[in-house]
Amino acid sequence: MERISIIWIVPLAALLVVLFIAWRSYADRGPIIQISFENAAGVKEGSTELRYRDVAIGLVEEVGFTQGLDRVLVSVRIDNDVAPFIDNEARFWVVRPQVTTQGVTGLNTVLSGVYIEGLWDDQPGGYVNRFEGLADAPLERQGNEGLRVTLRASGRASLIENTPILYRGVTVGRIGKPSITEDGSSAQAEAMIFAPHDRLVSSATRFWDTSGFSFSLGPGGAALDFSSVASLVAGGVTFETMVSGGEPAEPGSTFTVYPEESSARTSLFSADEGEALSMSVVFSENIGGLTADAPVEMNGLKIGEVTSLNGMIDEEEFGDNRVRLVVSLSIKAGRLGLDEGAGSEEALEYFRDRVEDGLRARLASASILTGGLKIELVDVPEAEPATLQQGEQDTYYFPTAESDITDVSATAQGVFERINALPIEEVMVSATDLFEEARALLASEDVRGVPENLNSLLGDARKVVGSDEVQALPGRLDALIAELDKTVAQFNEAALMTKLATAVDNASDAAEGVSSAVEGVPELVERLNAVAAKAESVELQEMAEELTGLIQTTDALLGSDQAKALPGKLNGALSELSAILTELREGGVVENASSAFDSASEAADTVAQAGKDLPDLIADARRVLAQARTTLDGYRAENGLGRDARIALSEIQKAAKAVASLARAIERNPNSLLTGR
Amino acid sequence: MEVTGNLKTAREMGLVACTECMRVSPRGTASCPRCGHTLRSRDPYSLQKVWAWWLVGLGCYIPANLYPMLETKTLVSSQSDTIVGGAVELAHGGNWGVATIILIASVLIPVAKFVVLAGLAIGVWYGPRATQGRRHVLYEIVEYIGRWSMIDVFVVAILSSLVQLQTIATITPGRASLFFALSVIFTMLSAQSFDSRLIWDTNSAGMAPDRAGRIPGRRRTLARGN
Repeated sequence: MERISIIWIVPLAALLVVLFIAWRSYADRGPIIQISFENAAGVKEGSTELRYRDVAIGLVEEVGFTQGLDRVLVSVRIDNDVAPFIDNEARFWVVRPQVTTQGVTGLNTVLSGVYIEGLWDDQPGGYVNRFEGLADAPLERQGNEGLRVTLRASGRASLIENTPILYRGVTVGRIGKPSITEDGSSAQAEAMIFAPHDRLVSSATRFWDTSGFSFSLGPGGAALDFSSVASLVAGGVTFETMVSGGEPAEPGSTFTVYPEESSARTSLFSADEGEALSMSVVFSENIGGLTADAPVEMNGLKIGEVTSLNGMIDEEEFGDNRVRLVVSLSIKAGRLGLDEGAGSEEALEYFRDRVEDGLRARLASASILTGGLKIELVDVPEAEPATLQQGEQDTYYFPTAESDITDVSATAQGVFERINALPIEEVMVSATDLFEEARALLASEDVRGVPENLNSLLGDARKVVGSDEVQALPGRLDALIAELDKTVAQFNEAALMTKLATAVDNASDAAEGVSSAVEGVPELVERLNAVAAKAESVELQEMAEELTGLIQTTDALLGSDQAKALPGKLNGALSELSAILTELREGGVVENASSAFDSASEAADTVAQAGKDLPDLIADARRVLAQARTTLDGYRAENGLGRDARIALSEIQKAAKAVASLARAIERNPNSLLTGR
Repeated sequence: MEVTGNLKTAREMGLVACTECMRVSPRGTASCPRCGHTLRSRDPYSLQKVWAWWLVGLGCYIPANLYPMLETKTLVSSQSDTIVGGAVELAHGGNWGVATIILIASVLIPVAKFVVLAGLAIGVWYGPRATQGRRHVLYEIVEYIGRWSMIDVFVVAILSSLVQLQTIATITPGRASLFFALSVIFTMLSAQSFDSRLIWDTNSAGMAPDRAGRIPGRRRTLARGN
């Protein structure tokens, strides 16, 4: 054997090195995991990496399809040291550039190519090698664990993907991708409240939508409110725990997102109100202005709302084929204030009883400005009896009453029409004519001449007053009065006083006649009382008959001779007085002008004496009247003829007083009759 | 060229030439009196060395063809080409001349080298198929041209050093360039360690000398000594 050259070490060493490296790389090679994606755009064999916390820990080796070609299967070789942590809770998604309202993410992938990102916890679990890749990045990212809840939008609230959840202006969470609930009634989305803020959420927390802005106009003024420009554009949801006593929220619990803060607050108090009782009301009048969600009130408290409005034609029920409007109500049993735990059954029983007592539903104006209507349940006095009728499919029909709608538009219209109908033109024309005529009148010659005439009249009057005759008038009057005295003395002698006395006797007879007439009044008053006593219990017809009889009796009374004789007697007395005065006039003055004045003083004395008799007369009259009064007092009648009689009698009394004062005045100063002072 | 009957080799005359300074000294002298180099008539390990280097060179040549030679990263794309793949790309791009040069320099020549070296070495063992003159010419060619295979490595080196524009364009040499360079180096060493005198050491009967350089009486006779 020749010697083997030492040079063989070189190939040997090379071989060993190669083998060693091959073995090492093979042994160090991590396992392969397969991830299926719906869309693996941008994933390339041999170059797309798998990253965790932005560190490349794997490489895509193969891109293929699943069986059936419905998903793309990506085989990734991962590093050995990371492999134990990839358990069945790991999630993978492809990071691509995305432009959203929240910002631009993944821009570096434009240059470097997309990569697959993985998320798993730090507990090594069992090794799983088949995964379903997510279509989008999941809500939680590294370092952002927290509470996962489901938000459901109600009303006009909107849930937009990736909008922040704010709490007092700080972003504490994020909304995921919204979807439609199974029953299709609203949108819901997963949301994540990051730790440590997840302890702020409890079962008494309410969420509401702060996107957009709110504008309100009320008694306090106008208010425009939005939370931030970002939420103005992109939306946002905020929450607050409004009452204490809630338990910490469970992961996966559902919260409702309300359209605005006020409805979130009111929802607190309507949370546990029990079931809703559904009832229907049929209106046959115009219900323009009533919409769904209109309140249903009882005694001013909102107990429910209108859920829907429908039309109904039922010829058998109503007798004609007019369209009637069926309003469906939803009444919360809890708001009625029934016992705790009262459900719709108890509420139904309660309503049944109240309907029999007169509870009815009617339309009322909710807002005069807008003409909106609401439904009121009121106790209608003297309502026709009705019950809660049961229709088909367990619907109950509430009986209705007349609407209480203040139709401002109609009233205003009526006012406008009346104003319209005013004959303004005619009035204007008349006024114009009047003005013209007045102007003509003022412009006429006569009126112009009036001031001249007045002037000349005043000049004449002054002349007259300044004339000698007028100056001499007071002297002449004095002389006249002196003569009158004398005349009165003559009267006395002519036995005129006897005539006066007779006249006064006649007056007293008249007063007695009044009193006798008044005697008939108590009977009348009695009858009136009887009538009044029967007024309440007696039928209208009988009362009318009674009244008719009464009126006839009154007529009879008034038609009686005594009553008729009253004015006659008074007339006679008055005519005698007038005859006396005529005699006065024709007799003594014309013949004995001067002697009349001479005896004026004696006449005054006689008058004074007569005046002394007058009080006695008046006292008689008063006595008579007092008698009448006591008679009437015994038969006190509050209204009707008795009261009128009393009023008449008091008037007569006043008249008598006035006469007495007149007599006293004449007594004190007989000259005042003539001089007027 | 044939050696005529009267011409004798140094070896036949009992002389040995120093491979360094070419002074001829009688056989048996240990070291050259002029330069001190060890005098050896024939390198006994020549063929071993040839084969050893040849194997390593071949072993390096395989990954040189499998790995990418150049990695080109531009703003939008990243490209890695093997030798053949790059040449094909260039040919598709219309650069026929460059593609031809690359194919000749990086494929044809190294492969030819392997074949020729192997042929020469086998010829020394088992008897040549070609005449001595031709064999020597082949050897010379291989020895001379072998270094030119490095052209491909130069191209890679120049490109990599010039196109370093960070994100816009970056060219980095791939793993194949290293292996290719190693392969060229090893084949060069292989060619160098081939003692060309072995080509001429056929006996008058045309038999090849043995590994130790002695002319055997028959094939593959292992004889010791000189």
